[in-house]
Amino acid sequence: MLDEKLIALITEEVVRQLTASGRVILPDSLSAEPAEGKDPVSTDRLLEDPLDPEALERMKKRTTARIGVGKAGARLKTKTMLALRADHARAQDSVFADVDPEFIKRLGLLSIESQAGDRNTHITRPDLGRKLCPKGVEALLAHCEKNPDVQIYASDGLSSAAIEANLEKILPVLVEGLTAKGLKVGTPFYLRFGRVAAEDQVAEVLGAKVVCVLIGERPGLATAESMSAYIVYNSYVGIPEAKRTVVSNIHKDGLTAVEAGAYITEVIQQILDRKASGVDLVK
Amino acid sequence: MAQILSVGIDIGTSTTQLVFSRIEMDNTAGYFTAPRIAITGKEILYKSQVYFTPLKTQTLIDADAVREIVAQEFRSAGYSPADTQTGAVIITGESARKENSAAVLQALSDFAGEFVVSTAGPDLESIIAGKGSGAWQYSIDNDCTVVNLDIGGGTSNIVFFNAGDTQGKICLDVGGRLIRLGTDQKMNQKEPSPTVQYVSYAAAEAARLAGVRVEVGQSISRSDLRSICDAFADCLAGAIGIAPVSPLQEKILTPGSDVYRPARPSRRICFSGGVADCIYHQNGEDDLRYGDIGPILGRAIRENRYFKEQKWIQGGETIRATVVGAGTYTTNLSGSTIFYSEGIFPVKNVPALKLTKDEQWAILGGDTQLLRDKVRWFLEQSDAPRMLLALQGLPDPDFATLKKLAGAIVDAMDGSLAPGEPIIVVVERDIAKALGIALQQTGCGRKMASIDSVKIEEGDYVDIGRPLMDGLVVPVVVKTLLFG
Amino acid sequence: MNLSATLSGKTYAFRDVKDVLAKASEEKSGDHLAGIAAERALERVAAKYVLSDLLVKDLRENPVVPYEDDEVTRINQDGLDEAKYAEIQNWTMAQLREYILDYKTTEADIRALGKALTAETVAGVCKLMTNLDLIYGANKVRIEATCNTTIGKRGHLSTRLQPNHSTDNVEGITASLFEGLSYGCGDALLGLNPVNDTVSSLAEVLKRFDEVKNRFEIPTQICVLGHITTQIEAVKRGAPCDMIFQSIAGSQKGNTAFGFSAATVEEAIALLRERGTAKGPDVMYFETGQGSELSSDAHYGADQVTMEARCYAFARQYHPFMVNTVVGFIGPEYLYDSKQVIRAGLEDHFMGKLSGIPMGCDCCYTNHMMADQNDIENLALLLGSAGVNYILGVPTSDDIMLNYQTNAYHDVNAVREILGLRPITEFERWLEKMGIMENGHLTARAGDPTIFTTRSNF
Repeated sequence: MLDEKLIALITEEVVRQLTASGRVILPDSLSAEPAEGKDPVSTDRLLEDPLDPEALERMKKRTTARIGVGKAGARLKTKTMLALRADHARAQDSVFADVDPEFIKRLGLLSIESQAGDRNTHITRPDLGRKLCPKGVEALLAHCEKNPDVQIYASDGLSSAAIEANLEKILPVLVEGLTAKGLKVGTPFYLRFGRVAAEDQVAEVLGAKVVCVLIGERPGLATAESMSAYIVYNSYVGIPEAKRTVVSNIHKDGLTAVEAGAYITEVIQQILDRKASGVDLVK
Repeated sequence: MAQILSVGIDIGTSTTQLVFSRIEMDNTAGYFTAPRIAITGKEILYKSQVYFTPLKTQTLIDADAVREIVAQEFRSAGYSPADTQTGAVIITGESARKENSAAVLQALSDFAGEFVVSTAGPDLESIIAGKGSGAWQYSIDNDCTVVNLDIGGGTSNIVFFNAGDTQGKICLDVGGRLIRLGTDQKMNQKEPSPTVQYVSYAAAEAARLAGVRVEVGQSISRSDLRSICDAFADCLAGAIGIAPVSPLQEKILTPGSDVYRPARPSRRICFSGGVADCIYHQNGEDDLRYGDIGPILGRAIRENRYFKEQKWIQGGETIRATVVGAGTYTTNLSGSTIFYSEGIFPVKNVPALKLTKDEQWAILGGDTQLLRDKVRWFLEQSDAPRMLLALQGLPDPDFATLKKLAGAIVDAMDGSLAPGEPIIVVVERDIAKALGIALQQTGCGRKMASIDSVKIEEGDYVDIGRPLMDGLVVPVVVKTLLFG
Repeated sequence: MNLSATLSGKTYAFRDVKDVLAKASEEKSGDHLAGIAAERALERVAAKYVLSDLLVKDLRENPVVPYEDDEVTRINQDGLDEAKYAEIQNWTMAQLREYILDYKTTEADIRALGKALTAETVAGVCKLMTNLDLIYGANKVRIEATCNTTIGKRGHLSTRLQPNHSTDNVEGITASLFEGLSYGCGDALLGLNPVNDTVSSLAEVLKRFDEVKNRFEIPTQICVLGHITTQIEAVKRGAPCDMIFQSIAGSQKGNTAFGFSAATVEEAIALLRERGTAKGPDVMYFETGQGSELSSDAHYGADQVTMEARCYAFARQYHPFMVNTVVGFIGPEYLYDSKQVIRAGLEDHFMGKLSGIPMGCDCCYTNHMMADQNDIENLALLLGSAGVNYILGVPTSDDIMLNYQTNAYHDVNAVREILGLRPITEFERWLEKMGIMENGHLTARAGDPTIFTTRSNF
């Protein structure tokens, strides 16, 4: 169960960083591009006639919490209520919807499944999401390069939206960057209904020195598109969670996918050089 | 955690000072994500005494004498030039002239350590002083607007902060040494009327507004000096939005200054600079003890009807605000995912070519000739053999786009730079490491660097120090030169 | 002791009392994950039949974690009112259920009864209750506690104001705090979940809370919910603090995983009595939530309702000012959907009341559960009807630090108005003084956080 706790921790951190890098204004902040496709609600002044409008603006800069929203009777205003529902809907859709199979096909990735079998089981039975289904194991053995230095694969985890938003941008820089370092990179694939620890079985099946899974994080209201990379050296089923190196907060308002990819190539190189990952790497 | 020693040297119209400070940095990101190195602490370790700036003429600095001061203070502080990793020498106020900058640069060359001399434009000086005085931190701590007036010998550098954000700046030629005075020995009075030895253009304008005659070689009464200072005080009050704008303002606006008009008065007023001590503290000493109008100006501001109605705060630094700001607030850190060839840093005083957004898009659209032309032109008109390319970057690019950008950059810079010169790219957005991989893939044999999270404008000069924190970040000082 | 029942011609036999308790539980995904849940609906009801015929003493004598192995079991068993227990030990669980629901049974009767029940008994009777039973039974009882003010009086519904911030920025926290106060929230507590569990970070926020509390003379309590040992250290170094918080579990092993023991709690209480800023006497704040024992492998094969009841048995020993179940935080592996969350919220509140602790509820959900804001509003109203001491309030329901949703600052007033409930009286007077509340309704000015900035230097 430990990895669920780890995931919760990471999700908190993602949100923290997202918000830290987002609306909280730093002294020498860089000018932001206007975001595309924003919902039509964010800039409205909801609280009418505050006693100190300047103070309210300052307060809103200091927190990403939705303050100064006003009220209708004792209830939320319509725009606030709808914005919350929209953010929640995005989050839920990213958990409960599948990654578009066409997307996986377009990237030319082999697609396999965990033993969870369906979305609800995946959500409630993390133990099954950590195991590959036998057909998937066969497919890996049939299609993937064996004994690579690095095996990279993607998995939906708790956010399909994260995979659809980031995978196409991170894969090329990862594969090319690692290859340029002279490493043997395995055949990337996609695991549906996967949990983080499935990478341990992947390591065993394919004989990879390092496995790196790119997986969707539990979505928050701030973003549903946050992805993480869990990287592990010489893994085996049952390896302690602390042996994973994690790079979280990968999304367009956090660490961008392409920059994350570049960073991860270096992390993987370090893991191979030092033959250790997770807490062993930090020591 | 890591720490670096920073030196700040401020050579102003009237005073020259030096501080050493320690800048601490640490990884502020959690364990589960990419590192984010940030400055976590700053501590002043040593403050020099305040020297009168040695002058050869009314406007020309005696660079050799400055060198002596700096050498003496390094000795007193117990540091050698090699100990300092970053810092800034800024020449401010009326001293900020190209010939001074060149002379000081020459004189301090063996103290250069990892830093170099630059002159601060009036806007930059305003911000540096406002940070050094403590006004900036106050505005953050109290989440409010604060205006800082750094009133020195030649200029008053004003900056408006709102909860840590710089809202605007304005700089006026109002200062304590705009009129210099000698005592007329022939007059045998208790309070002899002083003789005017020097009067600046701004002081003459103020005198005209006040209806007072001030001429070099003539004596002037204390009350007339006060009338001139009252005009200055009203002008400052007007500039910070607590009084009507003075007709004097446009006449004595420092050349190159912004003209910011605040929408409403700031919540607090903070004074720094040499005159600030005369504003905050009243004592029985003779107003003419410095042979200038500083104490009278201080008194005029303290007793000014507009200023009196406002709430004042006293920051940590007054006369040392600018040097403290220069020593502790000019160094920034790059982003923590960057790329550079081994041994490429430090680099000093590298002029920046900044691409506009449109140019960046044009290059990505395939117009590689544009970048080639720009780089060639920039190197031709620059006196330095080096340059760096600054650009905004893209919000969430894919790798193919970065490869295209890298290709265009290498094509243009490799073709124009002299052999052995590195290719340095500075992007605002956090994409430098990925861009670095793309640069490497071009196979260019030059040393290369791609760093990010630093904003640079056209014409800025940039120092990039040795990598810190296991090579994760580099310290960056961006200098906006008044006389480029 | 009969451990089997026959329904529709099929006999369902259960291994032991622990098995009966697990199978008799309403369906929870966490019990499935643990592999102890009833396989089918009828098996569940069969277990309930068996449970209804068990005696109170069967449950006391079969704690789900052995006495010798576990501090929580010992605290529970050793702390019972033995005289009262002697009166009821031979009641069947069905009798116990009906006694609680009976018109003749008074509030005082139930309070006295609770002191004679072990956690397993409390959990057992809970499993025989429908949702309305849980509300009806709980509503008969109010549990008061006093720190600076007194919480839990009949006719009142309080809130913990939770102004969390993604980087613990004190100004950002204050902004959110003012927003919440301007909606009439915060009579139970001004309480922050910190990002950084460090003494300096906690002390900084506590200092601000204390300044705001004193500057505006707010009759309430303050707390920053770091780890208990960090809070102790902060208080030792002079941080102002009314209450000390800790998440608790239903077994010693679970508490060890949380990094504390009963001795730590005793140390915290002694410290606050000496150096705390509250009048007291009730100075502890505990949080619980079904499933946390399983997540740290400290559940001993017992179901999550029973383990939850054991938290309350532990808590009551330390006379907390407040306890709340963070009911939907743990995720769908433990509580799958809104049905399970609402059930768990009602169970926890009922069991808390029966255990004699001042119970609140963080009616919340995460984004990977089958639940949304409608469900959580339902739960708040149901618990308001059941007489819960407090619910939570965050800006518009979105907690930017814990990354989940709970009740909005707006919700508590809606529930108060619908059910005719009020904030704690002194706090309501204060709200009136500040122009935020009139006759139990929010004023036009309410909801403007700058009413505080215009009167302060914050």
